[in-house]
Amino acid sequence: MKHERIYLDNAATTRTDPEVVKAMAPYFTETYAVASSQFSHMPGIQAREGLDRSREVIAQKINAKPEEVVFTSGGTEANNLAVKGTAWAHRRKKDHLICSKVEHNTVLHSCQWLEQEGFQLTLLDVDDEGFVDLTQLEKSITDRTFLVSIQHGNQEVGTIQPIEKIGRICTDRGVIFHVDAALSFTTLDLDVDRVQADLVTLTAHKIHGPKGVGALYIRKGTPIKKMMHGGYSEFDLRSGTENVAGAVGFGRAVELAQPKYVQYIRSLQKGLFEGLKKEIDGIRINGPKTLSKRLPGNVNVSFDLIEGESVVLHLDMKGISVITGSACFSRSLEPSYVMMAMGFSHERAHGSIRYTLSRYNRMEEIDIVVKSCKEVVEALRKISPLKG
Amino acid sequence: MLQTIQSDIVVDVVGETCPVPLVEMRKAVMKAKKGDIIEVKGTHPASKQEIPMAVDSLGLELLGIREEDQVWHIFIQK
Repeated sequence: MKHERIYLDNAATTRTDPEVVKAMAPYFTETYAVASSQFSHMPGIQAREGLDRSREVIAQKINAKPEEVVFTSGGTEANNLAVKGTAWAHRRKKDHLICSKVEHNTVLHSCQWLEQEGFQLTLLDVDDEGFVDLTQLEKSITDRTFLVSIQHGNQEVGTIQPIEKIGRICTDRGVIFHVDAALSFTTLDLDVDRVQADLVTLTAHKIHGPKGVGALYIRKGTPIKKMMHGGYSEFDLRSGTENVAGAVGFGRAVELAQPKYVQYIRSLQKGLFEGLKKEIDGIRINGPKTLSKRLPGNVNVSFDLIEGESVVLHLDMKGISVITGSACFSRSLEPSYVMMAMGFSHERAHGSIRYTLSRYNRMEEIDIVVKSCKEVVEALRKISPLKG
Repeated sequence: MLQTIQSDIVVDVVGETCPVPLVEMRKAVMKAKKGDIIEVKGTHPASKQEIPMAVDSLGLELLGIREEDQVWHIFIQK
């Protein structure tokens, strides 16, 4: 390896911006009081100020009011609160919820758990580029439906869902609309009023913020019950000592996420796509062919005749970090459920490689990645038991 | 020569398929000291070809491959 590690797994998590770490540091060693102690002492007031300043920054980014932003321990908790919290608020009144087959597991498994507990669940189909079937959505909503949960951008293939159209449908039919924006926050615009979203999941660590903090936007008046009990923090919607340092880091990460970075990441995405397509034969694009319909940092392809896990391991040995949609690492033979929902064969799903970019990547790295992929794919094809 | 070689670490992946042999070999390489000889023994045909590729990528030395009763033994020096 003649270069530094090239990290292209930014949809999993990102490098924390040093400016974020700097902003958080005083909240560990100086302003460490509990924000709920604001009525008791000055350190509590200072902690509360830090928390609320970040809440304002995040709210402003999605055109919400600060009191509609509830901090959580991350995207997982925000998605669980959105799905289970609204279900509990509608218990014995409405019992039907809808999500797509390609939602993140935190939404999908929460919905499936509710189904086991007696709720009715409709899973919406997607097409071969990962787009949700809107006709099926409209037909699926009944007077028993309380929630539609659709992500903004897909975690594997980057498909950007038409959330404004979905929001209109939900508003017309009087159904709560939850958007999981964990992957798209700050790289795609999201105005809660324009989208007509009632709930939006956000997380810090995918935008160069710290791990362990996220937020759920909850439109004022949305029926929802809290899931964490034992206190009255976060507008009595999420008990627990506030993660002030985390929230401050989250706010700083939002401030640092400038629009110029999105254009830059788009240029890297285009370079990687074009480089791979030009240099490697037998390559299939997974997700939308039109780059503007994908999350800015997402590239997902399958290489014919070889397994994704081999490509990943050999790229790792060349100092490049990517992941595969193949689930063999977990010893499960099931390939990615996202790929299967898109109607792909097991072979294509097992051969998929996801590259996800950030503002810390450079164009020189893209050239190295394309060259290394070509070498690895060619070498693996020579020994592939799948070749004719 | 391969018959008499003294391995410092033996990685037994007999019966395992991709990617386990490669993953276990890499774990052993990480733990090994410079100069240690690692013997990987397994049965999966694709791994027998993939491990030498990995040895090359990681800048290690491939001492040789011995095969008996459908079990291959790959000798690597860190």
